[in-house]
Amino acid sequence: MEPHTTTERSCRDSVMHRIEGEGILPRPKSYFTMHEATVWALWGLSIIIGALAVAVMLFAFMHHQFAFYEATHESFVTFFVDALPYLWISAFGLMAVVAVYNLRHTKHGYRYPVWQIVVSSLVLSVAGGTALHVFGFGYVVDHALGQGLSQYPSQERLESRLWQNPDQGRLLGRVTRQMQPPSLLTTFTDVDGLKWMLDTSELSKEEQELLFSEKNIKLVGLISEDDAFLFHTCGAFPYLLDRPASQSEFRAAREAFEHKMRGYEGRELLPLFNFREGSPTESQDSLCGDIIPVRRMGDMHR
Amino acid sequence: MELTTTTPLKDEEVVTLTIKDPNQYGILMERYEAKLKRYITRLGVRHPEDQLDVLQEIFIKAYRNLNGFDTSLSFSSWMYRIAHNEAISWYRKKNVRPEGHLVGDSEEILEFLSEREEGTELTFDRQLNAEEVARALEQIDEKYREPIILRFFEHKEYDEISDILEIPIGSVGTLLHRGKKQLAGVLNKDYLRI
Repeated sequence: MEPHTTTERSCRDSVMHRIEGEGILPRPKSYFTMHEATVWALWGLSIIIGALAVAVMLFAFMHHQFAFYEATHESFVTFFVDALPYLWISAFGLMAVVAVYNLRHTKHGYRYPVWQIVVSSLVLSVAGGTALHVFGFGYVVDHALGQGLSQYPSQERLESRLWQNPDQGRLLGRVTRQMQPPSLLTTFTDVDGLKWMLDTSELSKEEQELLFSEKNIKLVGLISEDDAFLFHTCGAFPYLLDRPASQSEFRAAREAFEHKMRGYEGRELLPLFNFREGSPTESQDSLCGDIIPVRRMGDMHR
Repeated sequence: MELTTTTPLKDEEVVTLTIKDPNQYGILMERYEAKLKRYITRLGVRHPEDQLDVLQEIFIKAYRNLNGFDTSLSFSSWMYRIAHNEAISWYRKKNVRPEGHLVGDSEEILEFLSEREEGTELTFDRQLNAEEVARALEQIDEKYREPIILRFFEHKEYDEISDILEIPIGSVGTLLHRGKKQLAGVLNKDYLRI
């Protein structure tokens, strides 16, 4: 046997002396079990929150107002930058870091290369988020947070910010009183509580039906120069954020929007006073040929 | 006189006994004192007083955490891991860098120098001496130094190094490969035949 040096002998003695003198005891097994369970739980939680972030991001990306971007923004790029769900992108990034950190600190986490841990955590969050989105959780989370937290930038708040802008020819709200036919004027209350008189002479039958469905709707048009609360309506579109809408509904809304706006392109401008009379015009003239989305669409296709 | 031979208990069995009876811990300390002292010396803890302090902390920490010993590892790897962590925290506490590396005796040096791994195409001259290797080890990046010490001077396998340093096995191979290359670059070229 190797002879012991003084250092070794005194080390053993000192350690045993400290263990006895200071009453040092091995930590209980439950301490280590709890530690490992906590690390795994934090990892699981970060994956779940990451998945929720993905679900809301998908909801925001796929179920947002891409269909109407010409109405609200100069270009798709400016719309995209404005509408990105930065909070959830940040949350997803943060949760990915937390997931990787915790997985690395599990008992055997160090055995796996960092890229494998990063990729596996991201894949789990994205897969989970996609599944949650498919079942409508993206909408549910965004809607619930919007209802509960006044500062949360929900898609509904974004929708209000983008669409409640009368000076730019956009209104968000619902019809509150219908005039008797044959009048094409009706009363509309926007989300800010302002009451408007709508001229609906240029709306199609489907749009009229949508208007009188008493649901929230989005309008494009222009304010009369003679009456600050008379809004000449050039298009009425479904709100689509009062429930988890399907992709086909968004596609249909996009098609309707494009069709409607393209229909105004190149049409002569109707004199302003005509629409106050409340009767549909037989001419091809229209007040809507010069509204913002029509001009933008025209510019893009020239 | 009749001699009886008994198979010594495995480390893992002694751990189980120690949890019930602290006095059994002496057996483990006896087995690891010399190895760990040599290891921390190679890591740069050179003064006897410092060595004693670090060794005590290693054994106290190991004792406190006996119930957390991961039985999928070897006990030796687990002890080396604690020693590695304690040496690092000792540097940090003292705010010092490792003080050079007593790499080992001449046989170890020769064995190290004759190792050819990971495609390194260098053949080292056997005339190289311990001082030269020690000087070169001080000059290479710290991240390469410890895998080299564990592999060539503590004779640990890749999976053991992975468990001690808590890095993936693939990274052990990479670090050793790059470490040897860097070491070859630092070593006096007069001693090398390429």
